[in-house]
Amino acid sequence: MDDKIRRIYVPMTESGFYILYCLQTPQHGYGISQQVRKMTAGAVNISAGTMYGALSKMEKDGLIKFHSEVEKRKLYKITELGEEVLSAETARIDRLYRNSKGEYLG
Amino acid sequence: MTKKVTRFFTIADYLEEENWLREMHSQGWKIVKIKAPCFYTFESCEPEDVIYRLDFRNTEKPEDYLQMVSDFGWEHIGDCLGWMYFRRPADTAASEEEGELFSDNESKAEMVKNIVRTRMMPLVVIFLCSVLPNFFRILNGEYVGPWGAVFSVLFCLLFILYVYLIIHCGIKLKKIKDRYKD
Repeated sequence: MDDKIRRIYVPMTESGFYILYCLQTPQHGYGISQQVRKMTAGAVNISAGTMYGALSKMEKDGLIKFHSEVEKRKLYKITELGEEVLSAETARIDRLYRNSKGEYLG
Repeated sequence: MTKKVTRFFTIADYLEEENWLREMHSQGWKIVKIKAPCFYTFESCEPEDVIYRLDFRNTEKPEDYLQMVSDFGWEHIGDCLGWMYFRRPADTAASEEEGELFSDNESKAEMVKNIVRTRMMPLVVIFLCSVLPNFFRILNGEYVGPWGAVFSVLFCLLFILYVYLIIHCGIKLKKIKDRYKD
């Protein structure tokens, strides 16, 4: 992961994190938004424009790639770089969580 | 029954335009056609609370975007000067975000930035490179004769229009963008 990608995506937006997480299995935009709503019990809702913008940007930056097209809908899947970013983010959030519980890591 | 309405919205007034279209629909007038720069055709309908949203996209409309937006429950009405018009009945939006095209501040601010980059900047460039130099030439009295007078009046009006538009849109777009900052 180069510095540019790290600067843009670590830390990343909440929507971005959920989208990347969901793309560990190939999906289209609307499918992702439904899964995120279910995962978060409706706390996180990603709208159409936000979803489209995030997918386009992540595809351009190589975090996800086009997987297939089903009924005019594009399905995407996470790439190796995307997985690297996702695990860096997960580690960061895990640290935040543990620190927030008063835990010291050192 | 249809009716045509002429109303001008600047590039910074899209939120007002959304509210106006919603208001019209609640009074039994739904928009069927938008023609540049400011002509709206409405058709009489059952009064209903319908959410209207505008999206600014300077690139040609991507098919996959239209597909995605319709998956999310929006009806695409049409496009005009880079703006895409969408609507959905208010009762189909279960959450606040479902009534929006953009659900986080980053993507809302991104659209404003896009408007500034592709609409506001050309306006400023034309102003600086053409309107302003000509305005100074007029002040210097370089345009003479009857045509010179017509030209002078025209450029003065243009000058006022540009100053107004740049100040109005500049301040307003900045205000909208600041609202989306943390």
